[in-house]
Amino acid sequence: MSRALRPPFPFALLRFWLLRILPAWGGIALLIFLMQIAVSGIVHDNEKVKTLLGFLEALPSIVKAALGGEMLRLGNTAGLIAIGYNHPFVLFLYMLFAVGTPTGLLAGEVQRGTMELILSRSTTKVQVYVCAGILTLAGMFALVLVMFLGTVAAVNIFTFQDRVPLDVFFRIAINGGLLASTFGAFALLCAGTFARLYAAVGVAVAFLVTNYFLAVVSNWWPRMAFLKRATLFYLIDSSNLWQGWPVRNMAILAALLLAAAGLGAVIWHRRDLPL
Amino acid sequence: MAAIEIESLTKWYGRARGVEAVTLAIEPGEIFGYLGPNGSGKTTTIRCLMGLLRPSGGVLRILGARVVPGRGTQHARIGYLPGDFRIWGRAKASRSLGLLAALGGDRRTTARRRELAARFELDLDRAVGDLSKGNRQKVALVSAFQHRPAVLVLDEPTAGLDPLMRQAALDLIREAAGEGAAVLLSSHDLSEVSAVCSRAAILREGRLVEMAPISRIVQQGEHRLKIWFAHGTPIPEVPMDRLPGVRIVERQPGMLHLAYRGAADDILKWVARFPVDRIATPQTSLEEAFMQYYRPPDAGGAGTRPVTPGACP
Repeated sequence: MSRALRPPFPFALLRFWLLRILPAWGGIALLIFLMQIAVSGIVHDNEKVKTLLGFLEALPSIVKAALGGEMLRLGNTAGLIAIGYNHPFVLFLYMLFAVGTPTGLLAGEVQRGTMELILSRSTTKVQVYVCAGILTLAGMFALVLVMFLGTVAAVNIFTFQDRVPLDVFFRIAINGGLLASTFGAFALLCAGTFARLYAAVGVAVAFLVTNYFLAVVSNWWPRMAFLKRATLFYLIDSSNLWQGWPVRNMAILAALLLAAAGLGAVIWHRRDLPL
Repeated sequence: MAAIEIESLTKWYGRARGVEAVTLAIEPGEIFGYLGPNGSGKTTTIRCLMGLLRPSGGVLRILGARVVPGRGTQHARIGYLPGDFRIWGRAKASRSLGLLAALGGDRRTTARRRELAARFELDLDRAVGDLSKGNRQKVALVSAFQHRPAVLVLDEPTAGLDPLMRQAALDLIREAAGEGAAVLLSSHDLSEVSAVCSRAAILREGRLVEMAPISRIVQQGEHRLKIWFAHGTPIPEVPMDRLPGVRIVERQPGMLHLAYRGAADDILKWVARFPVDRIATPQTSLEEAFMQYYRPPDAGGAGTRPVTPGACP
């Protein structure tokens, strides 16, 4: 097909979908932002930290491992602030957006019957997929930046005895954004592949939960340490992030993101949609 | 140049046949009826034509451009009304219609949209989910016609409309054709097809079994003969073995309704042996002509007689 015959990019669809996901994105972003303020509000006070650590010691050790493990100790302010980045509630919110957005936009429109109308207009299937991809990946990255802004705001609201290394948190945010976007790309792949919305959501959630479960178990149980490399969370190892930009890990994440999103685009383009 | 060209279209769903070797062409300004029972392949043909399904074989062209699945190359100039029209329920009708127009790159449809809405007595400021089935169908009609398309692909366009609105929809289709649009009209409503279409194709089990002007489809089917026998004359037994191609449609006291193919000579000679009060030859409707393609041949049906490319105008 010549370039002249290619339909223009469907910005109208991009805007329409953006307005549809914006309320959900706004709610999730607000909760993540407030979570950082709340965590920082606790960890800036040594007495509260002692209470928190005592509480964590009373819980099964896997809970502490899930929240940061050995990073959580009195005096390690940055490690304690990072609870807000590792907390299962925050990860759940990310998962909600990462899985809900692409599956809702692609598989959801197919299941509702509205994809037939969209594709009957002057747009290509790949352009429609790209619209969903842009909103998913940009939305995930923006959520991570909101999380970082929450930390910045908290540092300005509360007084910490130690200097809070915001540069490290920025690196965590960017790396976390890449990781979150990679999960988003996997959800995009599922949305482009499966005929039913629930199948796409189910497989994407299973992939995310399995990764998280393996990451927690391999951190908590020394005999399972060999599983660390089997999870994507390994690519956001906090010990690396203190040293500088983990270029290799970021490159791997970027490659996985592109591969998942690209494969999804090919499958989406080639398969007959169950209209 | 034909506005719509379909050459040897074949579509298989795994081992199930969707359509096979369908060939047809529709000229600008023509309203072409596409008939067939449920599952005969009408929607499959339409979705392949719209690039929504990938054909197993064949070539499709719209306005001279080859249809490539998944690439809406000519779609800005196509008005599409799907058989099962579903649109975003929570959005206002005007917003959804505006989006569909903008996706065709045409943002100057507001006036036309309002004109069509007024014509169909449709409130565009209501959420589509709050509208009745008939009003949702009006939204579907506005979405198909709002950008003055050069090609219209309409699947059951008047489903759910009341008789007045149905007439308004048919008038709109005629007007579009009058302005040069090529219309592919798929419908179960044969009176609607005979009212607006000049030609029609009939599908059976995924294959075209007829494609001809409506008048010829009606004429080349069975012919009807109603005979009222003189008072007190018992209805005679019809010698089916000596009258091939004849079947009894209805038998009432004093009246015999026959359907026949070919010449009426033998039937009339047989009837002449009895005292007859009067004879009538009722006009075959498109519906009756249509039905014969779905009866077994021994019941007066045409059976499967695929149309070969080039055999019909």
